[in-house]
Amino acid sequence: MSSFLKIALRNLLKGPSTDPYPFGETFVPKGLRGKIKYNAKACIACGMCEHVCAGGAIQIKETADKSGLEFIVWHNTCAFCGLCEHYCPTKAIRLTEDFHTAHSQEDKYRYVERGFIKYVTCARCATPMVPIAPELMTLAYGQVNKDIEKLRHLCPKCRQKQSLR
Amino acid sequence: MSTFTIPVGPLHVALEEPMYFKVEVEGETVVSLDITAGHVHRGMELLAMNRNFYQNITLTERLCSLCSNSHPCTYCMALEKIAGIQVPERGEYLRVIADEIKRMGSNLFNAGILAHIIGFESLFMHAMEIREIVQDIKETIYGNRMNLAANCIGGVRYDLTTEKVKYITKQLECLKKSLDELYDIYTKNKFVRARTEGVGVLPKEAAIHYGVVGPVARGSGIDYDVRKKSPYAAYDRLKFDVPVEEGCDVRARVMVRLREIFEAIKIVEQCLKDLPHGPTCIDYLPEIPAGEAVAKSEAPRGELIYYLRTNGTDTPERLKWRVPTYMNWEALHVMMPGNKVSDIPLIINSIDPCISCTER
Repeated sequence: MSSFLKIALRNLLKGPSTDPYPFGETFVPKGLRGKIKYNAKACIACGMCEHVCAGGAIQIKETADKSGLEFIVWHNTCAFCGLCEHYCPTKAIRLTEDFHTAHSQEDKYRYVERGFIKYVTCARCATPMVPIAPELMTLAYGQVNKDIEKLRHLCPKCRQKQSLR
Repeated sequence: MSTFTIPVGPLHVALEEPMYFKVEVEGETVVSLDITAGHVHRGMELLAMNRNFYQNITLTERLCSLCSNSHPCTYCMALEKIAGIQVPERGEYLRVIADEIKRMGSNLFNAGILAHIIGFESLFMHAMEIREIVQDIKETIYGNRMNLAANCIGGVRYDLTTEKVKYITKQLECLKKSLDELYDIYTKNKFVRARTEGVGVLPKEAAIHYGVVGPVARGSGIDYDVRKKSPYAAYDRLKFDVPVEEGCDVRARVMVRLREIFEAIKIVEQCLKDLPHGPTCIDYLPEIPAGEAVAKSEAPRGELIYYLRTNGTDTPERLKWRVPTYMNWEALHVMMPGNKVSDIPLIINSIDPCISCTER
């Protein structure tokens, strides 16, 4: 028993071991899986994040006016598992260290992360297409030279024709 | 002496999860026991069949919070068996590290709850405070205190930098010191001994008969550990002992759990020392052919078995798992009779039941 008294006394002198949050600082390590941040510029709309999302929190769909794609993450449905970040080829989706998820009931349906990818037109045939992110170019070609850079502005069909020529 | 039937549960202050026990008592002594399960059924096997392979990694992880690394790990192993995927060596070592860190947290939790049940609240708080060291490791390395999200098909999703390795080593040193003290209290403290010695006895023959697994089996003198008998991940390359106790009672089981933490620390330190270089995960999206596979692993509570059947599409045709608690709770029929009413929660806790895994 004496051995535990020693520990109890030591703990008493040490003071509380809990963080005084929300009145003080708390332990937030780097790499904590918190709220999702989305970068529409790097997104290539491959839909992998939507495919792997266990909760079905991610949606990518065309807007009503057909001017582009809308990306939504429902933070209330998100399980913060990070599979979307792992499988995203261009790292357009990222989990931040922000763990503050308390919000009022009226914001329930507004508690989302949104993004908009505006279609660009093909430089040759003018069909609307998802812009090709520079991140994808470096992933595919490594060093991007001027000739390859030109391919970025072509739709898949024209790109094929250009490459075969 | 008059006979009574006491209902314990489904919701009871001494139970962490819903479970219904109809206990027949004579005076103050338990005579027999009736277990009724099925209060937290969530239909997860059907859910798994409606989700694709990637989504199921997260789904199986959310089966239960304490075994939340063993489930996706075993599920991924079954998938890898079907698709013939070779996990990179570094990935295998990292899987072991995640597994063992979860084991430390889980076993400390159970030992703490034991102190809580016998009314030694300050020891309970102290055990939980020690567990906080492990929780900090999880939060820093994996980004979450419970669901590590370490596994993915063909490897792991996290990597250890030199700083992180240093951090784990530092935390483990800290844990070792506190753990020595805690182990000392659990072995020597007369109050802990008085409440746990000779309580909930499961003789070795009965343990074999009921096919119990994990610390319950090892507390009854059965030397059975999946990590030794059919090694997975990197366990065949690591040196560790399997703690076995002959006491057959509540005390023996908690001793096994505490000694397992020391072994887990040893395993993690070995892994960190000979962590091979290279990728942590396969770098392509695998195609899963039609087929079936069984994978098993040693969860903190015992042997966990996954059966998976695929049909060439990206959703499983059947996913079934058998969790350790399923074997262990039947043995309560042997452990309970002859004990006092006040020992019921203690004995239930000693098998470390994970109801949410079992009822899925």
